[in-house]
This record gives sequence, structure tokens and C-alpha cells, in this order.
Amino acid sequence: MKILLLKYINTFSFLTLLLFSHSALCNPVNEKLEFSGFARVVLGYLDESDATYLGYDDNLSLSQQSLIAIQADYQILDNLSLTGQVIGHSGKERDSGVEWLYLTYNPNRFSQIKVGRQRTPFFNYSDVIDVGFSYPWITLPQQVYSSVFFSTFDGILAGYEWNVNGVVINAEAFWGSFNGDVVASGNEVDANINDLQGAILSLTYDNFNFRTAYHRTDAFIGLDNLDEFRNILDFSGFTQSAESLSADGEIEFFQIGASYENLDYFVRTEITNIKAESLVVPTIDSFFIAAGYNFFPYTSYISYGKTNSSYGDPINEIPLGINDQLNALSFGYDLVFSQLPYDSSESITIGTRWDWKSNIAIKVEATWIQTEQGSTANFAVLNPEFDRKAPLYQLALEWVF
Amino acid sequence: MKYLSGLLLFTLSTLAFQLTAKQNYALVIVANTQNEDISITRRDVRNLFMGGVIKHELHAVILPPENETRVVFNTKVVGLTESRIQSYWAQMRFSGRKKEPREMVNEEQLIEYLKMNEGSIAYLSAQSTIPSELTVLLTIE
Repeated sequence: MKILLLKYINTFSFLTLLLFSHSALCNPVNEKLEFSGFARVVLGYLDESDATYLGYDDNLSLSQQSLIAIQADYQILDNLSLTGQVIGHSGKERDSGVEWLYLTYNPNRFSQIKVGRQRTPFFNYSDVIDVGFSYPWITLPQQVYSSVFFSTFDGILAGYEWNVNGVVINAEAFWGSFNGDVVASGNEVDANINDLQGAILSLTYDNFNFRTAYHRTDAFIGLDNLDEFRNILDFSGFTQSAESLSADGEIEFFQIGASYENLDYFVRTEITNIKAESLVVPTIDSFFIAAGYNFFPYTSYISYGKTNSSYGDPINEIPLGINDQLNALSFGYDLVFSQLPYDSSESITIGTRWDWKSNIAIKVEATWIQTEQGSTANFAVLNPEFDRKAPLYQLALEWVF
Repeated sequence: MKYLSGLLLFTLSTLAFQLTAKQNYALVIVANTQNEDISITRRDVRNLFMGGVIKHELHAVILPPENETRVVFNTKVVGLTESRIQSYWAQMRFSGRKKEPREMVNEEQLIEYLKMNEGSIAYLSAQSTIPSELTVLLTIE
């Protein structure tokens, strides 16, 4: 019922935004107020009947990644502006609504301070994950981009840019928090992300770009199904075992990315590591590498992504062989760890982007995803016989206005 | 077969002609500035038109995507295709980092804008008549 209701709300938001965008574009706005936006219509088909992947199954679907967003920028003073962005997602795993609402203050031409709700700039494309027009793929390499499960934060971000012998150096630092539901491994869980901090350094020299980032947070993630078992362990005096099942703790994100591009080709890569203090939150190592060839107005590309997740060693204090209750408790503890979602996968993507107009692109893409037995990798398994391999075919229209 | 070879030859010669034409198409970088001693490099110009900071406080103004001078500028100075530049600006705008330079309809309107706005900078065809109020900072052959 909840899913049905969410579906209706999402469809309603999508249609409202579509109507609003039409009226916004047709109405003149004054010099201080500027409207822009982006939209994407993504058609996908998973050639596999034993599982679904990112919501796609063996039926053609338009409703997983299609979206529309409207951005309004209001220049309050010469160096102060207000930006708001509303987004309507067709997919039920993403919330529609206000994605952005922040003030930007430019004390001078080198620096920028933003205060309010903003997108979290974890990796290269994290803050434009919904703006398909800004990257070549239809679906960003999921080995890197599915591991971060919250897209916005409330807080402050300061940036400074300078030029040293032709190298443009951009440094950003932010601090904030996020409270709300997140979708992790297909489950919606309540998360409280406090004290989120990050620093990003980007260097651009001609057509070469290098970016590195470090982020950290104290996360409080509600895993209701584990809480009851934790309480039993705690009550029985196995406090360290109980504590080891807590999903709370520090999470650190590391990223290094580099790209080179010219008129003929591009090469991009990104390497990420997510390290969690909690034993039930995985440590994730991921990377992708992509190369593309431009034959304007087309770009063809190939990319390869790989991810591997692991957990810390369990702390099982419960003695075996004393009585049946303790045996069951010990067995239950080991079972929890053996059933933690394990994500180890790789994928190869090939695709072509056609820049039909300066603001409209059409893309076609095929991705072969492969994961190990027992690994989830964004698959929702429908049949236990599923061989953990599936091709995903997608067609997309990307629009910015 | 003969028809196909003829078509291929025609396409290749047209392409070669267009490439030669583009290579021979010189550009000038002009600005409305009181400081006529500004020295600016091709790299500075690239950085400035891609939203990066340089030593001098200048704001870039551009021509529309279909304009030939813009195509030559993309090729000779930025070194990226028009579609890549468009996707770059989409990333900058919707990540809230930078906004694309102000775009003028044609070269006449661009020159008028430059004359009226101190600190503005743009690229023009070297064949253009440059008003005396503007300073040519760099010529790109």
C-alpha cells in the first residue's frame, strides 16, 4: 500500500514539475530571477528473469530513472544569491521534492560560501548524479556510485579557487548533517548522519583534471531487525558481542579521480574506499575506468567497474557447549554475520551518446553485470538458481534547459 | 561502386577543405579594459572561458553554439567538442559551482556588449572590425 501510494505521489510530482517547467519556460522572468532545469527519460530492460537490477526486470520500464528538475536562481545582491531546486523522480527508491535550497555568498571572485541544503560532493559525479546530460553513461558505474546512499546534506560549504602557473586549483570544505530514510541494499532504513565533514581538492591543467576527496561522518543507522538481538546479547552479559552488532560509528570516504580529454578521445578513472568503524557496515573498495572516442556529434565509450566489500571480524563471546540457549545465541550471532549483504561485482559498459542538439542528447547503452554467488550487487534475486550474471540495456533522452 | 568512390572522394575533399579553412581561421581575443599592458596566454584564455580564475579580473562573453567563430575557438583554444563543453557546463551549473559565460546572439551584439561593459572579454574572428574602445590581447592563428 505504501509503495502504491509512493508511486502515485512520485507520478503526481513528476507531472506537476512537467507542467511547471512548461509554464516557467513560457513565461518571461526578470533579470534577477533565472530558471533552468534538467530532465531525463530512461528506458531500461534487464535480460534476466531470475532477478531484478536497480528496479529493472525483463519488462521494458521507463519508471526507474526518469526524472525532471527545475532550478531557480535569484540574485539578491551582486554577491549573494538564493538557489532552489525541486526534483520529481519516477523511481520509487528516490524521494521527490526539494533537493536544494541554499544561499551563495561570493566575497570575491576566488571564493564561494554556500549555506543550506546541498548535494553531497562525495565523488566526481555525486552532486550531478541526476543530471545525465553531464556525463557519457546512462547509469553511472554502480560499482562506485551505488555505495553512497544519501544525496543531500544540510550545512555549509566553502570553496576557494586560485591559479598557479596556469594550473587552476580548487579547494572545498564542508560541514553538515543528514537525517532521513536511505535505501541500502534494497531496504529502506532510518539514518542519522551527524557531523558530516569533507574536503575536496581539484587541479585542472589544460584538459587534464585530478580530484581527491576525504569525507567522514558519525553515522547512526537504524537496523531494527538487529536491535532486538543486540538487546538479548547485552542483557545476557555479552556486551562486546552486542556492541559489535551496532551499525553506529564513524564512516570515512576516500576518493581519487583523474581524467584527460581532447577533441578526439577521453579517459576517466575514479578509485574510492569507504571505511566503516562498525563491524556490520561494510568496508568498500571500488574503481572504474572509462575511455571514449569522439566523432562529433557522437561519443562512443567503454567502461569497466569493480567493487569489493568486506566486514570486520565478529566478536563472538558466547561460549559453546554449556546449554542449548547459549548454543542458539552463539549460532544466531554467527548467522547474522554470515547473512550481511556482501557486494562484490564487476561490470562492463559500452554505449554511444548522440548530442542531437546543444541541450539534448540521446544515449544507448549495454551493461553486463557479474557478481559472485552470495553477493547482492544491486540485484534483487527472484530465483535462488540465478547465475549472478545479467545484461542491462538502456536508451535515454537527456535534456537541459 | 564508382558512385560510392566518387561520393567518398567528394566527402573527403569537402572535409579536408573544411579542416584547412578552420586551421586558417584566425581569432582575436579582445577585451574592454583600461589596462592595455595586460599579457594573457592561450591557457589563461582557456581557463577563463571554462570558468576558472586567472590573474586578471575579466568576465567572458561568448557566441552561440552554432557560430563558426565559436567552433574554431573550441577547437583551437579549449580543445574540446561543443557537446563536451555543454555537458561540462551542465555539471558546473547543476552542482552549483559555476555558471556558463553570458551568451550573445551574434558578433555585432557581442561587440556592442563589450563596448558597454568594462572588464568583459570575448573571442572574435580576426577578420572582424575591432572598435577602438576595445583592446586586442591575443591573436590565435
